[in-house]
Amino acid sequence: MLECRNCGAGAPVDEHFCPQCDRILALGRYGDYFSFVGLPRRLGLDQQDLERRFRDLSRKFHPDYFYNASPAERLASLERSSYLNDAYRTIRNPAARIEHLLAIEGLPPAKSDEGGVKVPPALLEEVFALNEELDEIRELRESGGDEAQLRARLELARRPIDRKREEHERRIQELSDRWDSNAGATAGERRATLEALREQLLEQKYIDNLLAAIEREAAGSGLSAPGSGQPGAESLEPKAQGHP
Amino acid sequence: MSKVVGIDLGTTNSLVAYVKDGVPVVIRDESGDGLVPSVVSIGEEGTIFVGREAQRRLLTAPASTVYSVKRFMGRGIEDVHEDASLLPFSVGGDPGGVVRIGIAGREFTPPEISAFVLRELKHRAEDHFREQGEFDFEVDRAVITVPAYFNDAQRTATRDAGRLAGLEVLRIINEPTAASLAYGLDKRNRGTIAVYDLGGGTFDISILKVEDGVFQVLATNGDTHLGGDDIDAVLTQLVLAEIQGGPQGSPLRDRRGGSSDPPELIQAIRKAVIQAKVDLSEAEDTEIRVESTAGLPVGYRRRITRADLERMILPLIERTLGPCRQALADAGLQPKDIDEAVLVGGSTRIPLVRRLVHELFGRTPHSELNPDEVVALGAALQADILVSGRREMLLLDVTPLSLGIETMGGVMSKIILRNSTIPASGREMFTSFAENQTAVDVHVLQGERELAADCRSLARFKLHGIPPMPAGMPRIEVRFQIDANGILSVSARELRTSIEQTIDVKPSYGLTDQEVERMLIESFEHAEADFEARLLIEARNEAETVIHATEKSLRRPDFDTLAAEALEPGERQRIEAALAGAKQSIGGADRDLIQQKTEALNQATRHLAEVVMNRSVREALTGKNVEDV
Repeated sequence: MLECRNCGAGAPVDEHFCPQCDRILALGRYGDYFSFVGLPRRLGLDQQDLERRFRDLSRKFHPDYFYNASPAERLASLERSSYLNDAYRTIRNPAARIEHLLAIEGLPPAKSDEGGVKVPPALLEEVFALNEELDEIRELRESGGDEAQLRARLELARRPIDRKREEHERRIQELSDRWDSNAGATAGERRATLEALREQLLEQKYIDNLLAAIEREAAGSGLSAPGSGQPGAESLEPKAQGHP
Repeated sequence: MSKVVGIDLGTTNSLVAYVKDGVPVVIRDESGDGLVPSVVSIGEEGTIFVGREAQRRLLTAPASTVYSVKRFMGRGIEDVHEDASLLPFSVGGDPGGVVRIGIAGREFTPPEISAFVLRELKHRAEDHFREQGEFDFEVDRAVITVPAYFNDAQRTATRDAGRLAGLEVLRIINEPTAASLAYGLDKRNRGTIAVYDLGGGTFDISILKVEDGVFQVLATNGDTHLGGDDIDAVLTQLVLAEIQGGPQGSPLRDRRGGSSDPPELIQAIRKAVIQAKVDLSEAEDTEIRVESTAGLPVGYRRRITRADLERMILPLIERTLGPCRQALADAGLQPKDIDEAVLVGGSTRIPLVRRLVHELFGRTPHSELNPDEVVALGAALQADILVSGRREMLLLDVTPLSLGIETMGGVMSKIILRNSTIPASGREMFTSFAENQTAVDVHVLQGERELAADCRSLARFKLHGIPPMPAGMPRIEVRFQIDANGILSVSARELRTSIEQTIDVKPSYGLTDQEVERMLIESFEHAEADFEARLLIEARNEAETVIHATEKSLRRPDFDTLAAEALEPGERQRIEAALAGAKQSIGGADRDLIQQKTEALNQATRHLAEVVMNRSVREALTGKNVEDV
């Protein structure tokens, strides 16, 4: 329940404007990005629909339109705009969307570094093989190994990780679909789906870190990053930031 | 109702525009010129010259004339050594503090210099509205544009400049976004646009998505130290090396500050190479022609072709491509996804720039609107949106650089990522390390690098008033809010006690509020002093005119006969006394006395003037027939 600071009327927490006097409402302790933009807690998303909602709400909240309003309304506009931008950015990104769902469903969020510390059991075999291979490649480079050969070995080392990544994508998609269609599911079943999602997400993060390590290895040898969509962009970045 | 305007505060030129009957127009002077050179000069009497007049003084009074001050906005002396070495005015300041510019025995910060330019634009706009017969012609509010890649300190410095100029800054908006707004008027209101903005001193690339009148920036990148100035410096360097017969291409900055060269010479060369650069956007070849000046007794001439120029500037122009690719990558797009590319900024007139942009995006870039004016037009539109509440168009911009804080081990921990739509907020939890610790130091940073030392220091502040508790117990939530101007504010709260913390933010390269206040007061005092100085000069000029005319009459060869025939007894003595009085008065600075003595001289010579005039008429008629008259 929110209280309108202008007329004192009460408003449901999902409302953005006072039902009585139409003024913008101060943002309370709000947690649910989905309901903020008027969406159900589902993982399947119509991208265009989200963008339309984002534009429509921006048109309602943006500080541009509260220039002559009272300080309280201006603050509310700033807070609601900031919150909307956060919500849009989070829901738009598939992994962030799942994390947010987990958070509002009461599962503690996977910390960003957690996936990088402990090797998930399901990945032990691949990680072990990869580390061995990376060590050998490093040794080869130090003793002046052939560039083309190094590149080929890195590509090869990358393949099983890429396959794992695809496998996880599929699994996450399955779990997301199950979550979205679980209208008749029991609380326990719903919880199990979320926990499975959380585990997959952690593993995926770990995989992404492995892929990043391979890219760094490639960049360190002066090779272009394997599979990078923007060859050259990496090496040019420091120049772009030469005068921050 | 007082007026609002949009201002493009550029490195080289500035403009002011407003919306008239729904259409943005640039305000021009009598000769139709919309550009006000961003040059400020201080005369001997303390008179401030801005714009074309100041630009002329670059050649005659280079040591008291400042240009390209935008490069110093929000920066410290250690950032600008390279630039400062090329400039004829003195640039100083304490390490880790604001840059200070010394001219004409006074010291100014960059926002103060920019404020002179803004005040000139304000006056230009007010004159325009007065001439239009507006009842309330005062201009007190403005939208001012900045490069998209400007950091927090640079934006804040720009806002401070606006305040110092007596303007309420309604909004700071990004130049490429402003340009897109001006272009968006033609109702081709859909698609993905790349705005390539290469100005006098800065480069920006912004990728926008336009739909339903919402101009949403997806990503931006740039270099706040790349523009036409750098091209001029390369050419100046070439000419200087040739004049001195030294090795070509040795970097000027390595020559220990370049202060050994007369500033007049540097300015004469700079003027000549800029002309040649402009010529080569039209012609295939031209001549660099430097007139003789201090340090150059015989003048200098040199033929230069467009190919020569392109060879020299290619490395500079190629530096724009990295940011373009990065912005595309950040937006998750490929060059082929760009529907339209738009050119902004005077330097995009260079054919090489157009060619590279064409190659990058695979399409002919738009340049229908004057690249010098399009940013000011967009700023005027935004100003109009703000005051009118019109909702057809909405700009959603992003913050160009990640914002974070320094954590243990000097690592930058990001709180708001670059290319986040603004307004944006972020929070970070802090706690204490020692028992009953009541304060925590926070260091706010902006940048993309891992280490705090490699990022831009924005501010340091102390969180005071933490309730005494065992170590690790307090839960202090620090909230970072970037507003729609891209400017940061910080607030904090201890969550267990809900006590709001007081925060004293000390900007690393900015002015404190108190400093701005003090400058405001000083600028009012100076404005009055400047006004007084101008009135004094006018009074002197007036006195000198009368003195000159009187002396001329007294020196007439026939004065003695004339006096004997027509003047009253003692009249000549009275005139001579008044003349001496007037001459004496202009030696002083008492404007009232000068005016009084001038008036006295006028009175004393009234009769003489009549006599002289009659005689002249008679002389003219002598020997002529009535019919000829």
